[in-house]
Amino acid sequence: MKKILPVEELARDSRFVRARIEDAISDPRQAKVSERNTGSARLEPARPAAADRARQLMHGIFVGEIQALEGAGRTTFDFDDDEIPFQLKLDMARQCWDESRHCEISVKLSEHMGSEIGEFTEATFLYEAACAPDALLRLTGVNRALEGLAIDVFNTMKEFGDVSGDPVLAACEDWMLADEVTHVKMGSDWLRRLTENDPERRERALEFQRTVDKLFSLGGFRGETDENPIQLARKFREMAGFSTEEIDDLSEVATEAQEEARAAADALHGVASGD
Amino acid sequence: MTASGAPRPAFAPWDRRELPGLFGVVESARRVGNYKWIEMRLFEALGGWVATVPELDVKFVLGRQCYHHAWHAELWNKRLPELREMNTERLTEPPNEEMVKFVDAVRDPEAPELTIEKLVGVYRVLIPRKVAAYTFHMNATSRITDAPTIRSLGFILQDEMEDWREGEMLLQSLIQTPEEVERASRRQQALEDLIRSAGGITGPGTLGNSEGQADEAAEGVSVG
Repeated sequence: MKKILPVEELARDSRFVRARIEDAISDPRQAKVSERNTGSARLEPARPAAADRARQLMHGIFVGEIQALEGAGRTTFDFDDDEIPFQLKLDMARQCWDESRHCEISVKLSEHMGSEIGEFTEATFLYEAACAPDALLRLTGVNRALEGLAIDVFNTMKEFGDVSGDPVLAACEDWMLADEVTHVKMGSDWLRRLTENDPERRERALEFQRTVDKLFSLGGFRGETDENPIQLARKFREMAGFSTEEIDDLSEVATEAQEEARAAADALHGVASGD
Repeated sequence: MTASGAPRPAFAPWDRRELPGLFGVVESARRVGNYKWIEMRLFEALGGWVATVPELDVKFVLGRQCYHHAWHAELWNKRLPELREMNTERLTEPPNEEMVKFVDAVRDPEAPELTIEKLVGVYRVLIPRKVAAYTFHMNATSRITDAPTIRSLGFILQDEMEDWREGEMLLQSLIQTPEEVERASRRQQALEDLIRSAGGITGPGTLGNSEGQADEAAEGVSVG
């Protein structure tokens, strides 16, 4: 088995349909959709499409968990004993088990919500961040950026479960949220330990994290306004070791991503309408 | 200050543990180092394979069991300094070059259509060999002097047996045609031959069948 498995080689059964996130964001139909003023974009039970959106989000969580599982697994294998500390390998193996459980929970919850594997597409950008050749980039890209997004998503889903009267959804999301806080903290601790005497390396890793965070903000999917379906979970991010300054930076990155997506959509709309 | 009543013996009548075992400190540490090495190579392989198997149930089981073997490696890593091996890396090694060839062969399959080959290597060859080596160690070492190793062996063997059963059930559900039976058999035979050359998880004498150890055992003298 070779080291570093490219994203194209991720093994899936026939139910999975792969899509590129860039295609979804730059889909010309998005411009039309964004023209509609439907009020708050938050995931709230009163919205007519709430059930469909929640199912789609649940499917997104499921495929994200598979890729997080695969990413953690590859980190145990891709690096030799002299390349990363033994304890880091053990932590990644532990994360493997956690993500495996999250996959199982997500499959069960998808069924509970009336969805099934393959109802929605799978974008593989999460795994792409998880297969960087530098282990430190994986820790910042996966444990701090990807798992940080998971904190925001699980908290949003947990709140949706609470307000929509679904205790099964709320309880399961709360369990997964606890694991994700642990994973983010693990990433923060390893980032500090591995770069203790190398501030330049730490800065490069944090820069990579900012890039991934922007990508994971998905053009306005995540943020702190009513326009963002997924809300930044400040309290849980603080528990996971993010400073207030880091969370403020992330909020700015999310706003930038939203503005860039809007500009791109406007440009596409201009092209489509011949303006 | 003395308690009233007749003094009780230090060992209850049903406690039949004895002092001599087949291993001394050095031999026990050598074996524990081999155990840590094989557990590491196994958890890495299971973790690496997660992304290469399309079957969801297999993917999730590999992810779960990856941690089981990492935890075993951690237990052995903690035991090594207690056996006077302060540099744990020194003894974290295979018993011989043949074992490296065996492990390389176990970890070799990568393509998504090779799930049977992957699982046969782990559940029909490697884990049965580990169960045998761990069981021998538990039965052969002193239950008094080497009690911490025995305690870890107990936890680990429970995991190994459960994981073995789960993997074997996955295999039985995957092997559906005569061709797949043939594939599984061929794979098992090739790997059995390699681990036979290695002499087992800790090399020749893994199950105490080497000539020297048999003599020592017969004399009731610990080796190493």
